[in-house]
Amino acid sequence: MTTIPGVDSDLSTMMHAVFAAHAATGEDSAGTPNPAFWQSLSELGLSRLTGSAESGGSAAGWLEAAELLSAAAGAGVRIPLAEHDLLAGALLEAASLPVDDRLRTVAELDSSGVARAVPWASTAASIVTLWRSADTWLVADVDVSAFDEIIPGANLVGEPRDRVTVDTVSLRGTPIDDTLVKQYHLKGALTRAIQVSAALDRALMLSCEHATTRSQFGRPLARFQAVQNLIADMAAESALARAATEVALVAAVQNEWSTDDLGFRVAVARSCTGHATTTVVRNAHQVHGAIGTALEHDLHRFTRAALAWRGEFGSVGYWDRRLAAAAAAAGPGGLWPLIAG
Amino acid sequence: MSGLTRLVPATTGDAVGTADLRRAVRRFLAEQRSAGNYRPSVDCWLSAWDEDFTRALAAQGWIGMTVPAEYGGHDRSFVERFVVTEELLAGGAPVAAHWIADRQIVPSLLKYGTTEQKQRYLPGITRGEIFFGIGMSEPDAGSDLASVRSTATRTDAGWLINGSKVWTSGAHRAHAFIALVRTSPVDPANRHAGLSQFLIHLDSPGVHVRPIISMSGSHHFNEVFLTDVLVPDTQVFGTIGEGWEQVTSELAFERSGPERFLSTFPLLTQLTAMDDVPDLGRLVGRIAGLHQMSAAVASALERREPADVAAAVVKVLGTSTEGDIAEAASLLSGDETACEAGWRELVNAGLDQRPGFTLRGGTNEVLRGVVARGLGLR
Repeated sequence: MTTIPGVDSDLSTMMHAVFAAHAATGEDSAGTPNPAFWQSLSELGLSRLTGSAESGGSAAGWLEAAELLSAAAGAGVRIPLAEHDLLAGALLEAASLPVDDRLRTVAELDSSGVARAVPWASTAASIVTLWRSADTWLVADVDVSAFDEIIPGANLVGEPRDRVTVDTVSLRGTPIDDTLVKQYHLKGALTRAIQVSAALDRALMLSCEHATTRSQFGRPLARFQAVQNLIADMAAESALARAATEVALVAAVQNEWSTDDLGFRVAVARSCTGHATTTVVRNAHQVHGAIGTALEHDLHRFTRAALAWRGEFGSVGYWDRRLAAAAAAAGPGGLWPLIAG
Repeated sequence: MSGLTRLVPATTGDAVGTADLRRAVRRFLAEQRSAGNYRPSVDCWLSAWDEDFTRALAAQGWIGMTVPAEYGGHDRSFVERFVVTEELLAGGAPVAAHWIADRQIVPSLLKYGTTEQKQRYLPGITRGEIFFGIGMSEPDAGSDLASVRSTATRTDAGWLINGSKVWTSGAHRAHAFIALVRTSPVDPANRHAGLSQFLIHLDSPGVHVRPIISMSGSHHFNEVFLTDVLVPDTQVFGTIGEGWEQVTSELAFERSGPERFLSTFPLLTQLTAMDDVPDLGRLVGRIAGLHQMSAAVASALERREPADVAAAVVKVLGTSTEGDIAEAASLLSGDETACEAGWRELVNAGLDQRPGFTLRGGTNEVLRGVVARGLGLR
């Protein structure tokens, strides 16, 4: 698999090996993280990769975390690493609240105390809850037993996306700055761009393997120019998705998530990954033929995941509209500086 | 697990220290516009020939940037040149006069030219006074370049060139071109052997330039007929018999540059001022992604890393996207639409130039083949 630039190659190899080995056991169920596997990730220091050392985390950075998410997504392993570490853990640390190893996710409540499609809520022990009181954002680490309701739901690939309800009056919140909430949104959006990009790369790889090993009319599919063209277009789109995602990632890391244009960079990444998914999914299934639609085949673990993830933390349409709004605000004279700095 | 190698080099954002250069070019362009020296145009690097503008640009040191000072150049990096050309194209500036010389001839001369050839051409190119064309395609050799039939025959006085070249942009105004011709008969076992390149002055006896008028009525392309054109040994470019290697080794420079996604950028800037443009966000996102990808290829070329496949990726995506921008503009412009002066002309130019985007410099079909080869499919 493609390695995120700047990540130690031994670490990357280890991460990919861990997920490949787990994927090979076939013991995954999308609905709950496999407890033994989660335990082994924790023992390897991977479950809270970016958490501070004082709280028992591994104190690594976002580049390493992006490699970890890519390794999991590229192996087809469903696991709440982004939610537990990069989103929930980071919010607690930013609010100077205690963190431990209990499985966590984040829920952002609306004014009636409801959050929809909360990733992995039904499997979490504690939910880092964000809500707005008057003009202030508050955050609390809330044990799942305190929630009125956690109604299970799922995305296209069966990952829990649950509706949760809690009475905020009963919660004691810590005020946090608006910028931390904005960062949380961008972080969530970028984790999905990273995951989509990895899934697209794997769909491309499977298509190359299929086209070179499957023969029809007496020759491998790869010998047909029509098939080559389908795959070349997949490769081009997934390369653009990866480029846009890595640029946003590098900008976030270099400026500690605080640069003015990060919102634009993340929106570019989400738009490019979202539209790349259209071409890659369509062409990957076309290249694979009917077998690619079968449950027993691996392809859907990547194509359906990309389709699910491109609509989380904002639909493709949402991110396109944000780009259009940014372009309109920049106007004819400001569009190029918006793009090129 | 078997690994896919990265098709496009990793992106790391803008090179350090180029922000001031970007600002300087933007300031210059704004001054030129307010002085009435140019209006932004579509496909400016092919269509907008303005020798006064070219000389003004040369006076800023922005032509022949990578040429060493000993040849009158500026000793700047390829990445700095990338930044300048990106700004010029985003501004729709009239850069056609020097474009081929600056983009193609400069790196080729630096790599393959003799000292005498470098002394003869590089200072003039850098001053914005010598303009070049490219002599690759022929009536029977388009995508299949190895089937060129023009020949060079050794005589006592030098080389006699015969044949014709086609789609030579600017040949009616340029001073010279580099022609790819056969110096030995086709070897069916190795079609790429026996090709050589020559520097040919377009005012030489035996050179006849015939205009090929485009469907819009404009004149950019020509057919160049070569009849017993005598070229001295000193005008052999590179090594006899290695023309194919020379031509293909520099293709990444030609294919990955910002002219492969910014040809219609002046249309996209105007779309930001219109209401409810359905595709605006997607197009802005793609251009931003392509900007980063193209910059990454420029950095790889600076490091002299192979980038053929990456360049093909940029060109396939970029030329489709610049066509999509013309399409988006066209879909919004009907007879019920009130437009600013010049808008319709800009849209029409985009539509007329669009078929060329995915043809020139290697058709997208050929480039998909390059990508497929990079993936190990062929």
